[in-house]
Amino acid sequence: MILGAFEFPPIDELFRWKDVLLDDTPVAINKTAILMLVSATIVVVLFVGGSRRRRLIPGRLQNLLEVTYEFIDRGIARDVIGPEGARYTPFLGSLFLFILFTNWWSVMPFIQFPPTSRFGVPLYLALQTWVIYWFVGFRHHGIRYLTGHIFPAGVPKPLYLLVTPIELVQLLIVRPFSLAVRLLANMMAGHILLAALALLTAYALQNAPVIALGPFLLNIGVMAFEILVGFLQAYIFTLLTAVYIGDSLHPAH
Amino acid sequence: MTLAVLFAEAHGDVQAKNPILPETKELIWGGIAFLIVFSLLAWKAWPAIRQALADREARIRADLERAEQAKAEAEGVLADYQRQLAEARNEAGRIIEEARQAADQVRRDLIARAEAEAAEMRRRAAEDIRLASERAMADLQSRVAELSIELAEKIVERSLDRETQMALIENYINQVGSASS
Amino acid sequence: MHALVLAATEAGELRDGLAAIGAGLVYGLAAIGPGIGIGMVVSNAIQAMARQPEMAGPVRVTMFLGIAFTEALALFGFVLFFLAQG
Repeated sequence: MILGAFEFPPIDELFRWKDVLLDDTPVAINKTAILMLVSATIVVVLFVGGSRRRRLIPGRLQNLLEVTYEFIDRGIARDVIGPEGARYTPFLGSLFLFILFTNWWSVMPFIQFPPTSRFGVPLYLALQTWVIYWFVGFRHHGIRYLTGHIFPAGVPKPLYLLVTPIELVQLLIVRPFSLAVRLLANMMAGHILLAALALLTAYALQNAPVIALGPFLLNIGVMAFEILVGFLQAYIFTLLTAVYIGDSLHPAH
Repeated sequence: MTLAVLFAEAHGDVQAKNPILPETKELIWGGIAFLIVFSLLAWKAWPAIRQALADREARIRADLERAEQAKAEAEGVLADYQRQLAEARNEAGRIIEEARQAADQVRRDLIARAEAEAAEMRRRAAEDIRLASERAMADLQSRVAELSIELAEKIVERSLDRETQMALIENYINQVGSASS
Repeated sequence: MHALVLAATEAGELRDGLAAIGAGLVYGLAAIGPGIGIGMVVSNAIQAMARQPEMAGPVRVTMFLGIAFTEALALFGFVLFFLAQG
């Protein structure tokens, strides 16, 4: 086999970067941090700058911003949470845009690394969602938020033995953990796939240039797919955050 | 610091950690980056975009309402005109009818007056005739009396033969006839 | 026989090999159920959308939610793969 000698590098090498500033402190800056700050800057420039000069007949940028706003406000906040969901549109919109723009680094030429594939980032976002839905639940329903969830009405008393621990674990651990892991694993898998195809292409170019076209074209296809995945994961993260907030507001359903 | 350093993978000392475990620095920087996005967008971008959308919605709604109002107004004016037109037409009809009635009245009055006048004239004529004939009869009576007296005088004056008598009567009748005609 | 195999390997080599096999199996096994589950979710969502196109919006949102919850199981397997390696 021609590719028999192909060596895939340790996965660690695809995800860990040297500190470039404030080395070895808890706030050390590496590629992940820089990319996130650049994402934040892009989002801020695009949205704050784009919404400065409002016109009655919108230009392209304003149109894009308004479509994004409608998408979050109508498609997620109000659809999932209800009429009072409009209050959460700024948070959900910022969440969506931040995840979207950090995800899309995975297909940016010469960068090709999504900061969301480092567990710290989705973990922060998931914990934030977790704090918010607990806070909203307790503010609107007090302790009944917790009791209503772990002792659901209409369930036979002996079943509480089974239901209560499950619900408790669900509220406390499963929700934030699955939120974080979903985003992390999707971006990580995409990154590994892209890296593998790119390395395969490079390797084939050196050893058997004819077949290099295969992994190369596949790489292009997967990149297009990754753009979709980046969008979808940002959407799902935001959607689930909205669902959890909505569940805290109206625990009945 | 070069780009090469920035994008160099870490080896050696950090190698030991599993790539899937969270790193505090990345969690912290993720939080900082997100909070930057959230605070600036919530402060500047989202209210502005919502305002722009609300403004446009309000504007469009106002435009629609104004159009609706203008249409209603136009319809009102049209109805007004039509009503006025109908009123004018009614009025014209009424005036014509009134004129016709007035003319009729006048005609009837005139006819009645003419008839009355004719009747009066007829009556007067008849009266005149009656008076004339009465007068004539009176005249005749007086004349007959006179003639009778005259005749009597004549008879008395001369003796009358039959021929003379006949001539006298003839004469008398002729006189009467010419007097009465 | 076992002794022969063990003698032929360096210290810990067998353990590493078994760990690698286990790590490889973890994700493959974890992906079976969610794979079937996501297929069912999507197929029913498509049926629903085809029958009631006017409900396509809410159905799509619910479909993504269903996919997300089902997919989470496979992704736990993905994470376990890394943990099993380490």
